[in-house]
Amino acid sequence: MESETEQRKKHWHDKYYKLFLLVPLVLLLFSLIYMGIFYSKNNDFIYKDISLTGGTSVTLYGQIDKLDLEQTLSEKLEDISTREIYDLITREQIAVIVETKTESGEAEKILEEYLGYELDEDNSSFEFTGSALSESFYRQLLIAILFAFLFMAIVIFIIFRTAIPSAAVIISAFADILMTLVLVNFLGIKLSSAGIVAFLMLIGYSVDTDILLTTRILKRHEGSINQRIFGAFKTGITMVLTSLVAIILALIIVKSFSIILTQIFTILAIGLSFDILNTWITNVSILKWYVERKNEN
Amino acid sequence: MFLYLNGMSRGKMKIKLTWKIWLLIIVLALSLISIVNFSGLFEKGLLITSVESNSTAFEQGLRQGQIIIGIDGKPTETLEDFTEIIQEKFPAEENIKTTIKTKESEIILYSDEAPQIIVSEISKTKIKTGLDLAGGSRALVQAQDKKLSAKEVEDLISITDNRFNVYGITDINIRSVSDLTGNHFMSVEIAGATPKDLEKLISEQGKFEAKIGNETVFIGGERDIASVCRNDATCAGIENCQQSSDGNYYCRFRFTIYLSEDAARKHAEITDRLEINATNPEYLSEKLDLYLDDVLVDSLFIGKDLKGQVTTQIQISGSGSGETRNHAYEEAEESMHKLQTILITGSLPYKLEIVKLDTISPILGKEFIKTIFLAGAAALLAVSIIIFLRYKKFKSSVALLITSMSEIVIILGVASFIKWNLDLPSIAGILATIGTGIDQQIIVLDEAKQSLFLSIKQRMKRAFAIILGAYFTSLVALFPLMWAGAGLLKGFAITTIIGITTGVLITRPAFTDMIKKIEKD
Repeated sequence: MESETEQRKKHWHDKYYKLFLLVPLVLLLFSLIYMGIFYSKNNDFIYKDISLTGGTSVTLYGQIDKLDLEQTLSEKLEDISTREIYDLITREQIAVIVETKTESGEAEKILEEYLGYELDEDNSSFEFTGSALSESFYRQLLIAILFAFLFMAIVIFIIFRTAIPSAAVIISAFADILMTLVLVNFLGIKLSSAGIVAFLMLIGYSVDTDILLTTRILKRHEGSINQRIFGAFKTGITMVLTSLVAIILALIIVKSFSIILTQIFTILAIGLSFDILNTWITNVSILKWYVERKNEN
Repeated sequence: MFLYLNGMSRGKMKIKLTWKIWLLIIVLALSLISIVNFSGLFEKGLLITSVESNSTAFEQGLRQGQIIIGIDGKPTETLEDFTEIIQEKFPAEENIKTTIKTKESEIILYSDEAPQIIVSEISKTKIKTGLDLAGGSRALVQAQDKKLSAKEVEDLISITDNRFNVYGITDINIRSVSDLTGNHFMSVEIAGATPKDLEKLISEQGKFEAKIGNETVFIGGERDIASVCRNDATCAGIENCQQSSDGNYYCRFRFTIYLSEDAARKHAEITDRLEINATNPEYLSEKLDLYLDDVLVDSLFIGKDLKGQVTTQIQISGSGSGETRNHAYEEAEESMHKLQTILITGSLPYKLEIVKLDTISPILGKEFIKTIFLAGAAALLAVSIIIFLRYKKFKSSVALLITSMSEIVIILGVASFIKWNLDLPSIAGILATIGTGIDQQIIVLDEAKQSLFLSIKQRMKRAFAIILGAYFTSLVALFPLMWAGAGLLKGFAITTIIGITTGVLITRPAFTDMIKKIEKD
């Protein structure tokens, strides 16, 4: 029975796998166009939060009316935005985070005036980054991602030593990152430096399953190619699903607490979801096409 | 010790452990040794993490690093004990007696304010958390309009370090950091409480000049100034406080400095040329103007007796203002303290700019770590359940869970061994590692199930080929991050590299051996 279903699977997959490629291809094209428009509009690849544009992030501990604060100070604090931190279990508000482009000393004065008490380390935290520094951080992080991607590509070529399969892995990784970026932008998420690091993590995560797939298909010889793909798929999907479940669970828990970790986990969850598509359609189809062409010759 | 253990266990246990599994056990044990603070396990009391240098507590001999076991005969085992006792007593109406019992001695203080010390509970582990979790302040400093060379940053660091020491802050970490584009920064980190004047202490150039007319008489620093009177009420202190017509209070401070021979002679030369003041014949015609960073802070009349005199002793004065008398007093005290520091240490070679300044309250740290543990535990549990459902093998699932947990222990062990401060990026790195680690163990599990005509050894070898590939791609992807962004995200790269390397060298081989054993059974 097992072999019968295998047979059927083989059948439809053999028939349609090239057609499947259209899905990621269309998505990839759409993503490129979206990013093109996004870039021309915003003159940048992402929406940046104040850790990348420069400004002050203030955490005020205690029960503070977030909306009132935001409304009252919207004139005084440049680009103000607020968020709450609350206890996971009691749902009680622990703190409010105020982000603004206003410099920290000035922001402190304005907030003290509003709150009516002095801010010190028992009731607040301040994080200030100058705009020139943030600008340079951002550039460096982009360079870091670029190099990370480049180094990864070189290692992939060294491992597989054949052009098309290596390129397939690299294209899948690229598609993962690009599609994630598009969705993150589409959702209007303002990225922090930690968010950019999440993209770097994504490189590592997305390549794992691609290496597994390519190794199983190119370097193994037992079973048909479909059996090998299906075997790799079973392993790979277990990997991605366990990671996804772990990440989503962690995301739910830290969501009320840490903006940095929330962002990292959100990006990873999005990226891993796209990775399912890009490994098991993009990479599989290119690889299968390559192997069949090779066998024909 | 381990050999002995090895022999013992072999005798007792039926299953022989392979050397790879032994390696994991040994590394795990070493990690635990590196994590656990054994002396802290049995110690009761509170650790003094800092003592204000001008306080009575300091004068009476309380020092950083001492352990307080009781106050006024009541034991202090937790921070709550300490706060309770202190809050009950202070602020007091008059000077009251406080007996602080440390491990070595007993110290008695008479004061109307709480002892100016910061204490913490003795840590059970040697894991150090970063500022974003433990609280504290961090500043990145650059020169204004100038790119500093590595050497210049080193000079800057030594002057700043000295300045903090003179000011009385010793628990501080100042170092040079650089980034991908070749910028050098001075990074200043202070754990725990943030000094009020941190910003000024770091970024003010502190160029002190005393001028008569256009001529500089002396400047701050050891060349011109032989010594500065501090902490001695006979030659330094707040003189008087007054309410002015605008309702604010003003307090004047005054302290004596002693000029070097050269500076004193210069003072004589310049004053010799001055006339007696026509309207105020007690004084000379020009005043001694004191400038701090090119801003006039005070002008002092020069007594006529000083004309042409080689005098080494000079009074420096200034004022502080505030809405209440107390405010004005405090501000005058702070200004005096700062000016004394600057006169001793001299000016910084450049105008500085703080490009990043974080002051983080320690309040949320503990809660935060709890949340992370909860998230980690939930994630691991979920993963184990999935693995168990997928493979229906209890032993393998447990082996996977144990391996992942030991990976966390080893990362923490190495981190505390190299004294790495675990900050948020580092924790994100640990999470990333555990994620990829589990992925790779799934590869091992699946390879073990595959192609049964191959020996289990060969199958494991195959799994390892994939794992190595994944390892090297992750490793190279992390390197650029070590330098990007002035090292603020280095923690992520560090813990991930420790984690994945441990994975490839120790935990994964041990896991494959565990699976081999389980499969054979």
